[in-house]
Amino acid sequence: MKEYRFRIIIILAAIALSIYLLYPTYLDYQNNKHIQSVVEQKKQEILKQNPQISKSDLEELLTIVEDSIKQSDPSIVENRLKRLKLGLDLQGGMRVVLEVNTAKLLEKLANNPDQVFNSTLAEAKKEAETSDESVVEIIARKLQQKGIRLSRYFGTVRQDDAEIIAQLKKDSEDAVTRAMEIIRNRVDQYGVSEPSIQRQGSRRIIVELPGIAKEEEAKQLLQGTALLEFRLVKDPDFTYQIMERIDKALAKVLAAGNDSLLAELSDTTKKADTTAAADTTQKQLTEEEFRQQHPFFSVALLDPQGRSADAFVKEDDRNKIQRWLSLPEVKKEIPDNVEFVFSAKPVSTTQDGKKVYFMYLVNRQPELTGGVVTNAVATLDPNSSAPIVNMEMNSEGAVEWARITGANIGKRIAIMLDGKVFSAPVVRGKIPGGRSQIEGMENLDEAKLLEIVLKAGALPAPVDVIEERIVGPSLGEDSVQGGLNSALFGYLAVAVFMIIYYRQSGSIAAAVLILTILFILSVLAGFKATLTLPGIAGIVLTIGMAVDANVLIFERMREELATGKTLKASIDSGFSKAMSAIIDSNITTFFTGIILYQFGTGPVQGFALTLMIGIASTLFSALVISRLIFDYLASKGAKISIG
Amino acid sequence: MRIFHNLNVNWMGMRKTFYIVSLVLFLIGMLNVVFRGLVFGIDFKGGSEIVLQFEKPVDVAKIRNDLANIGLGAVEVRTFGAETGILVRTELQEIPKEIYPKVVERIRENINKIMPGVPYQIVDSTINSITVEFTNPDTTNTMIAELFAQGFQTGKVSEELDNKQMLVRVGIADWIKEVLREKVKDNPFQVVKEDRVGPKIGEELKRDAVLAVLLSLVVILIYLGFRFKFIFAVGAVTALFHDVLITVGLYAVLYGVIPGLNLEIDLPVVAAFLTLVGYSINDTVIVFDRIRENMKIHKTMPLEELINKSINQTMSRTIITGFTTLLAVFVLFILGGDVLRAFSFTLLFGIIIGTYSSIFVASALVLDYAQKAKKKVQFS
Repeated sequence: MKEYRFRIIIILAAIALSIYLLYPTYLDYQNNKHIQSVVEQKKQEILKQNPQISKSDLEELLTIVEDSIKQSDPSIVENRLKRLKLGLDLQGGMRVVLEVNTAKLLEKLANNPDQVFNSTLAEAKKEAETSDESVVEIIARKLQQKGIRLSRYFGTVRQDDAEIIAQLKKDSEDAVTRAMEIIRNRVDQYGVSEPSIQRQGSRRIIVELPGIAKEEEAKQLLQGTALLEFRLVKDPDFTYQIMERIDKALAKVLAAGNDSLLAELSDTTKKADTTAAADTTQKQLTEEEFRQQHPFFSVALLDPQGRSADAFVKEDDRNKIQRWLSLPEVKKEIPDNVEFVFSAKPVSTTQDGKKVYFMYLVNRQPELTGGVVTNAVATLDPNSSAPIVNMEMNSEGAVEWARITGANIGKRIAIMLDGKVFSAPVVRGKIPGGRSQIEGMENLDEAKLLEIVLKAGALPAPVDVIEERIVGPSLGEDSVQGGLNSALFGYLAVAVFMIIYYRQSGSIAAAVLILTILFILSVLAGFKATLTLPGIAGIVLTIGMAVDANVLIFERMREELATGKTLKASIDSGFSKAMSAIIDSNITTFFTGIILYQFGTGPVQGFALTLMIGIASTLFSALVISRLIFDYLASKGAKISIG
Repeated sequence: MRIFHNLNVNWMGMRKTFYIVSLVLFLIGMLNVVFRGLVFGIDFKGGSEIVLQFEKPVDVAKIRNDLANIGLGAVEVRTFGAETGILVRTELQEIPKEIYPKVVERIRENINKIMPGVPYQIVDSTINSITVEFTNPDTTNTMIAELFAQGFQTGKVSEELDNKQMLVRVGIADWIKEVLREKVKDNPFQVVKEDRVGPKIGEELKRDAVLAVLLSLVVILIYLGFRFKFIFAVGAVTALFHDVLITVGLYAVLYGVIPGLNLEIDLPVVAAFLTLVGYSINDTVIVFDRIRENMKIHKTMPLEELINKSINQTMSRTIITGFTTLLAVFVLFILGGDVLRAFSFTLLFGIIIGTYSSIFVASALVLDYAQKAKKKVQFS
C-alpha cells in the first residue's frame, strides 16, 4: 500500500479539484432553475392581476424580480462567474464583427475635399476590397501618383506625407477605441449579461452578446452615433428636497399596497438582509422600519458628510429605482425639467463585491451637445502632475460655452454619453475661447476614457458590420441536447465495446474514461474557457480516442502474457513498452490542436481547446490512474482478465 | 475476444495493388474536384444564410418558389432540423443593384402606408442601408418605431435630440424575411440563426485554413523526423497528404448525392481535417514504432519481412483504436445534429482512410525508398 500512497494522493487530489471546479456549475444550474420558476410564477401572478400589462412593462417587472433574487443571495452571482460557460452557439446569442470604415472616416477628416479627392477615395475604396493594403495607404499612393501632397487634404502644410499617413492611421485606430466605448456603454444599458467586446487587429471589434432574445433590438445598439451632452447638475439642496418628496410619496404607495409586486419586492430584500439588520440594532429605527418609512433612502444612500447629493446606488437596485421613478404618484413629485441619471462606471464596490453607482439629478435639457467638441486630449498637468483632459470647441460652441460657464460658476456640469454620466466637474470660472481643462480624474486611465467619450461626440466612428452570426435560443438548446446525447451514447458504445473485448481490463478503462471526461470539463471551468458545440464534438472525439491508449497497453499486455510472463511483469512491460507509441501519437494530435487554436476563431478554438485538454487528461488517466489500479489489483494477487 | 490474432499476411507483397487502389481513389476525387468543384460554406465564400422556424410544417418547394423570382439569383432552400425549419442561403452579401430600387420602393410604400403624404427625402443610400430624412424629429421617431414593428431594421442616425434621419438596413436576410412575411402570411416564423460573412473575411479564413493544414503537416514532418529517421517522416506525411486529398476528393464526389447530407466545407470541417491529420498519424506511428523495435530484435531480417511482421503484430490494435474512435464519431454523426454533420462525416471517412494508409501507404513508401536506395534503413 505504501508504495502507492503518493500516486493515490495525487489522483484523489486531482479528482477533488475537479469536483471543486465543477461544483459552481452544478449550483448555477440549480439556481437558474429556481430563478426561472420564481420568475415564471411571478409572471402568472402579474398577468392575473393586470392582464392588460404591456410586454415591455412586464419584462421590466420581471427583471426587477430577478435582480432582487440575485441581490438576496450574493453566491448566485459568484457561482455564475465560476461556472462552465456555454458558447454563443449553445446558449444562443449574437456575434458581430465590426470594422471601422476608413474611407468614411477619411471623408470626414478631409479639409475641403474636391472632385479629385472624392474620385480618388472611391477608387481606393474599390481597391481595398480585394487588397490587404489599408485604404489610407492606397489613397496616399494614389495621391502621390497624381502628384498631390497629402497636406492638401489632411493635417497642416508643414507636415510631410509620412507624418500625415501615420496620423491618419492613428486616427483610424482611435475610431475603433471610440466605437468600442460607445458600444460598451450601450450594451451596459441594455443589460446584457456577460457581454464580450474585444478588439481584433487595428480596425476590428468583435462583440459577443450571449442569450439575447431580441436580436433585432440588439443590432440597433451597434448603429448610430452616440449622443454627447453637457447638462447642468442640480445643486444638493434642491436634489435633497426632491428625494425627500419621492421618499414620502413612495412610502405612501407602498403602505397603501397599490403596487403589490413592489411591496413584495421590498419584502424579499428585507428577508435577505436580516443579518445586516441584526448588527444595526443600536439605531433608533430598525432596518425594517427604516425600509418601510424611507423606501427611497434605503436604496439610494446619501453620504451624510458629503457636500453633494449624489446618491450611492447598488447595481441591482438601478432597475428598481427606475421603476419607482416611473410610478405616477412619484412622477408628480419630480419637476418636469429634471431627471435622475446614473454614472456610467461604478464609483466603488461594497464589501460583498457589488458595484455601486452614483445617481445624479440633472436638467433634462442639455446646455450643449457633442457636435461642438473638436478635440480632447488626456494628459498630465505639468504643475501638479494630476491627470487632466484638455478639451477644445469650435467657435460656435466656444461662445455658448463661455456663456454657460460664466452663468454657472461653482456649479457642476455633467458630461454625458448616451444618457450616462462620465464625469461631473465643477465650473471654476468663465471659460472663453472654448479651451477647457477638466480635472478630478483618479488616474490617467480615467482621463483617457473621458478623452474617448468627448471625442465620440466630436468625431463619430463609422463602423460597418462585416460578419454577423446569430443563434436563436431554441437552436442552442437543440445543440446542447444533441451534444449531450452524442457524448452519452458515444461513451456507452465505447464502454460496452471495451468491456466485451477486454473484460475486466476493459471495465477499468471504461471507468477511468469517466474520470477523463470529468477532468476535461473541470479544466475548462477552471480556465474560464467556453464550451462550444465543436467543443462538445471534441469531447465526444476524445471519448473515442482516449481508449486508444488503453488499447495499446492492453494489446501489449496480451503479447507479454502470451510469452509466459506473470501478470505483474506483463503489466510493467505492457505499460512501459506502449509508452513511446502513446506519447508520439498524442503529441502529434496535440500539435495540430495548438495550430488549430492559433488559426481558428470562436467555436473552432473551443474544439481545439477541448481536444488539447482531452489529450492531457487522457494521458494522465491512462498512464497514471489505470496503471495504479492495475498495479494495486495485481499486488493483491487478483486476476485481471484481459479478454 | 480477439481479432487478427497471429496474422501472417504478406502485406508488402500486395503493395502495388494498394498503390493502384490509392491512385484510383485519388484520381476520382481530383477529377471531381476539378470538374464538379468543391462547395464551400458561407464561412469561406461569404454570403448570407438564415434559418427560419415556422409555427406549422412548411412546404420547402413552395418557399423555394416564393424566393425564386425575388432577384437574388440562385437561392438555396432546404429543410433544417425538423420539418418546420427552413434554411435559406445565398452567396450574395448585398442586395444586387437591379433589386435595390425594388427594396427602396417597398420602404417608400410602407412609409406612405404609415403616414400618408408625409414629406421625406432619401439623403444617402449605400449598399447596406438607406438614410431617410423627415422634417422633424418626432416624425422620425414614430417612423422608426412603426417600421421596426413591421420587421424593418430601422435606427436613428444619431442620438442627438434634433435627429431627423432614419437609417433602414437593407441586407439580404432582411429582404428575404420581408418577402416571406408577405408571401407566407398564415404561418408566422422566427429567425433561429442568421449568419452573414463578408467576402474579405471569407478570403482570410480560406487562407488561414490552408495555412493551418500545411503548417500542421510541416510540424508533424519535423517531429517525426526528429523521433524516427527522416525517410519515415516523409513516408508518414505523404500518407497524410493522401488521406487529406482523398477525403477532399470524396467531398467533391458526394456533394449533393446523398440527400440530407450537407457536405460543405466550413470552419468546423477544416477543424475536422486538422484533427484528421493529427489523428491518422497515430496508426502510422504505432506501426513505425513496432518496426523500430523489431529492427533491434531481428537484426538480420530483410526489411520487407520485418515490415510485414510489424504490421501483422500491430494489426489488431490499429483496427481497434480506429474502431473505438469511429464508434464515437459515428454516434456524433447520427446524434450531433445538422451543424456537426459535415464535421463528423469528415472524421468518419478520414479515420477509415487514415487507418488504411498507415498500413498500406506509409510503410510501403518506406520500403520502396529503402529498396531504391539499396542501403540499410536505420531508425533513430
